[in-house]
Amino acid sequence: MPYTTQNLKELPKFRDGLSYLYLEHGRIEQEDQAIAHYGPDGMTAVPAAALGVLMLGPGTSVTHAAIRALANNGCSVFWVGEEMVRFYACGLGETRSTQHLLRQVAAYSDHDTRLRVVKRLYALRFPEPLPEGLTLQQIRGYEGVRVRDTYAYWSRETGVPWYGRNYSRGNWTQADPINRAISAGAACLYGLCHAAIVSAGYSPALGFIHTGKQLSFVYDIADLYKAETLIPTAFKVVAESSEGVERRVRHTLRDQLREVKLLERVVADLHALFDDLELPDPYADDPSKPGELWDPAGNVAGGVIYGGDGAGEGAQEPEG
Amino acid sequence: MVVMVLEKVPKSLRGELTRWMLEVSTGVFVGSMSAMVRDLLWDKCVEKSRAGRCCQLYRTNNEQGYAIRMHGDSNRSIRDFDGLMLVTVKNAKWEQMFVEPAS
Repeated sequence: MPYTTQNLKELPKFRDGLSYLYLEHGRIEQEDQAIAHYGPDGMTAVPAAALGVLMLGPGTSVTHAAIRALANNGCSVFWVGEEMVRFYACGLGETRSTQHLLRQVAAYSDHDTRLRVVKRLYALRFPEPLPEGLTLQQIRGYEGVRVRDTYAYWSRETGVPWYGRNYSRGNWTQADPINRAISAGAACLYGLCHAAIVSAGYSPALGFIHTGKQLSFVYDIADLYKAETLIPTAFKVVAESSEGVERRVRHTLRDQLREVKLLERVVADLHALFDDLELPDPYADDPSKPGELWDPAGNVAGGVIYGGDGAGEGAQEPEG
Repeated sequence: MVVMVLEKVPKSLRGELTRWMLEVSTGVFVGSMSAMVRDLLWDKCVEKSRAGRCCQLYRTNNEQGYAIRMHGDSNRSIRDFDGLMLVTVKNAKWEQMFVEPAS
């Protein structure tokens, strides 16, 4: 099949899309120009271009052509276990510009700006503004109290007993239902935040509060929304019944995420984190301009042949 | 907005639907109505479609923005993927993969 460039406007904006789809036991193939899941019940066409994350559970196999189509559509693919121990792979995402990534790196690599972003991240979690002039240590203290209170509040509201967040990494079924529900829901939330981060052109690895993991930034962002989405949902689901909490929490969380308009908010929140750093964007007027080359004295134009002597090898403007 | 698609149903049923909706193409009906009328029309279709097929789509406040229901199609069904409604088809390729050939 000849490679053709795609009209990027065909790609739906992340906020307009569907959040996630979890599939298990079946074969994912390319079907005509779309993706299809073949399972015991029949063939299900998957709206890949509108989908943020496709989660593949146990018993799924996927063809090379299907993965290529998913990547072209900017749909992140995650392989998740029944125990929600996650492996992940992701396509290229929808953005081709590194403008946002550069802003993230600039904010990350400077001590002062990093601290400012960390404080912003914490501030976003609190409904009312934090007192001025707190040290990071004090903020962490406030945060600990907030998390403990959130768990305690929803435990009181729903009557589900809460003995703390603990799970055995080796044994899924040993954890109590509320901890299993929170873990299963968190996997969805991480998947979504990961997709949003990749989709908006940031790096999931460069976390500000969290550090040292490939998904550090995902944890930073997901933590912003846990208290209003995941925790109440998990407690309510377990209060109804302690059977099959994983499936029901995914179901209820979808409604909850729509209610708080998470898909619309998460990208805006990401951009706002780095708002006043004022890095120039060389691609603002022409996003398809060739990338520049770095030089200590300032970037030089890319797409140019430097230093050749023969005819046609000298420095010249790229065509178009 | 409500859309209904009817196939191989009695002519009288199609005629009845045009009292509420526009038939924009053969068997494809579009209209705006209250949820109660919509449900009543759906019941009517299910009751009178006999061997035919019908499906109904309408706007609703979920993530997809619409809901679907189907009746009378043995190859096609709506499946619920944790709240996301997708259409599952039993097509020839699926049969090749999943149905044991009768020997």
